[in-house]
Amino acid sequence: MIEVRFHGRGGQGAVVASELLAHAAFRDGKFPQSFPFFGVERRGAPVTAYARIDDRPVDVRTSVTAPDIVVVLDAGLLRRVPVTAGLRAGGLLLVNSPRRPEELAGLGPFRIAAVDAARIALRHGLGSVTLPIVNTAVLGAFARVSGVVSLDAVRAAIESFSPARQVENAAAASDGYTDVVTAEVGPIPELGPASPRTVPLVLPEDPVASRSSETLPTADWRSLTPVIDLGRCTRCNFCWKFCPDNAIEFDAAGWPVLRGEFCKGCGICAAECPPRAIAMRAEA
Amino acid sequence: MTRLVLSGNSAQSYAARLARVQVVAAYPITPQTSIVEKLADFVADGELPAQYVKVESEHSALQVCVSAAALGARTYTATSSQGLLLMHELLHWASGLRAPIVMGVVNRAVAPPWNIGADHTDTIAQRDTGWVQFYAESNQEVLDTVLQAYRLAEDLAVRLPVMVNEDAFYLSHTVEPVDVPDPATVDAFLPPRTPRAVLELGVGARVGSFTGPDHYVEFRRQVARGLESVLPTLTEIEVDYARRTGRDHGGPLPTYRVDDADAVLVTMGTMTTTARKVVDELRTQGRKVGLAKLRVFRPFPAEAVRALGATADRIGVVDRSYTFAGLGAAATEVRSALYGRTGAPTVASFLAGVGGRDVTPQIVHRMFDALLSEPGTGPAWMDLEAEREVTVRG
Ligand code: SF4
Ligand code: SF4
Repeated sequence: MIEVRFHGRGGQGAVVASELLAHAAFRDGKFPQSFPFFGVERRGAPVTAYARIDDRPVDVRTSVTAPDIVVVLDAGLLRRVPVTAGLRAGGLLLVNSPRRPEELAGLGPFRIAAVDAARIALRHGLGSVTLPIVNTAVLGAFARVSGVVSLDAVRAAIESFSPARQVENAAAASDGYTDVVTAEVGPIPELGPASPRTVPLVLPEDPVASRSSETLPTADWRSLTPVIDLGRCTRCNFCWKFCPDNAIEFDAAGWPVLRGEFCKGCGICAAECPPRAIAMRAEA
Repeated sequence: MTRLVLSGNSAQSYAARLARVQVVAAYPITPQTSIVEKLADFVADGELPAQYVKVESEHSALQVCVSAAALGARTYTATSSQGLLLMHELLHWASGLRAPIVMGVVNRAVAPPWNIGADHTDTIAQRDTGWVQFYAESNQEVLDTVLQAYRLAEDLAVRLPVMVNEDAFYLSHTVEPVDVPDPATVDAFLPPRTPRAVLELGVGARVGSFTGPDHYVEFRRQVARGLESVLPTLTEIEVDYARRTGRDHGGPLPTYRVDDADAVLVTMGTMTTTARKVVDELRTQGRKVGLAKLRVFRPFPAEAVRALGATADRIGVVDRSYTFAGLGAAATEVRSALYGRTGAPTVASFLAGVGGRDVTPQIVHRMFDALLSEPGTGPAWMDLEAEREVTVRG
């Protein structure tokens, strides 16, 4: 049995990717299982999805804690989420990144593969510069480097089950298959036992889950940042009123100021700003 | 101390006043309404300096208490039957947020068919919500238990909400003499709540927000720990209360003439008084019977039941409700507490007094007769058997 864990952000398609993988594996005659783990169900929040692929019916219903393969749809998560937790030494780590896989070697004793899925997505008009839809390009790369499913099956699954733009998504998968690069980083260790999984267990002293929202910065969720053009701003307060995380304040003169530690990059302020003074820019 | 002739409902109101509750939120429902009406009078007349919050439903009444308790206030509400069922969701919030609310519940049958008689189905249906549950036998016990309930709920090892339950009409609308302690006595027994507030006015915070599988169970375990502290804490509280008032209600499972008893009946609420008299009658006939009153149903006093089982050969458990399981709810718990003990007694399940039917001395005699001869295992519907008897007599 092969166990896979996907890491992405709400809205990037990690859950769809793991489902498409299940459909593809089924077409190849395997027994798949796929399911998401939802925490706070909000755009931009880190999301995890799991897949298992076996030659016989999958007989376990738990989250994947010791994956053979980890797929990361957003390289920004590498710094914020312990994506390699439990990944077996010698296991496969596939990252959506324009970087060379050798540059990611510091992540651990893994087979590391990288695919510039954002560029592929844009080539096929999937999503926007600031929010490319990368899941199908990554799945194509997955077919190549994992050998667990065939590219034909991935394409067929996309054509049957992709929620939109099946032709472009199938083409993106093919490009991902072609473009993916695997690191040549010396000897890869034999597939070893699962590394221990550690969950930080910090309970509040009080037996009630009470905390100020001020102590829960949501900046981690952000892939886009609102940039306010004060030349167009009319100081109307709409951005402040609509921001779900109270991430906009005003200076003494009444100009809006972003509280970066709480902005989760949802883009609501930009959508609501009457003179279109707010642009959403990709995080550096 | 003053001796007044009070209904069970007034005993609740007087106790809440003596406890100097700070927030009362309530919605009327028969047969509870006179509890909160009297409290409204106390507040209007300036005898109780509390916030009295009128709400549009029982669900909101409990929400107000949960929020006020989170801010550190001592809170009270009361309800019954359908109103308690409507509160169900908030009952979990109260225990999960460790809100030390005390609530008077007048036990009333659940519709349909519509019925306002005494029946424990309403509170038994809330047994899994993390609330402590007391069932009172007399108006005196109602008053004393409400005062003890505040000490218990606010104890920092417990920090859980408490229901003080009384049978509809048999207590709620029955007047009898009640000793009302002096305010000074109560103040010494029950000082102001040491506010372990989870919220503070003017300080942004949130409670009960999203908690994933990594931590949720730890919070549930802490609620369980609070419940585990209830019975030892209650013992201390009762000792102190007895020292100040001379009254001791005997813990979670007070017993009567059980030491050499072959057969013991376990009762809840007002039927206990009638059953005690029957025990005396049977004792004069030389029959070795005894009685145990299940005063606390949550947390279930399993240790006390095992102590009872160590001497009695046969235990009959009377439930004033039926939960559509194999046995009555209390009978299930008693049998479970005794499971696997060598020489464990036979446990028989009786249903009596459902929907406000009288639990007469005759019915209690029949239960003891059954227990001493051939106790069945499944639940015996005593009310139905009694009905046949009424028909014959008619
Ligand atoms: S509304 Fe704007 S400022 Fe507020 S969280 Fe969303 S993107 Fe950030
Ligand atoms: S909504 Fe736009 S115009 Fe209004 S205050 Fe915010 S940035 Fe300025």
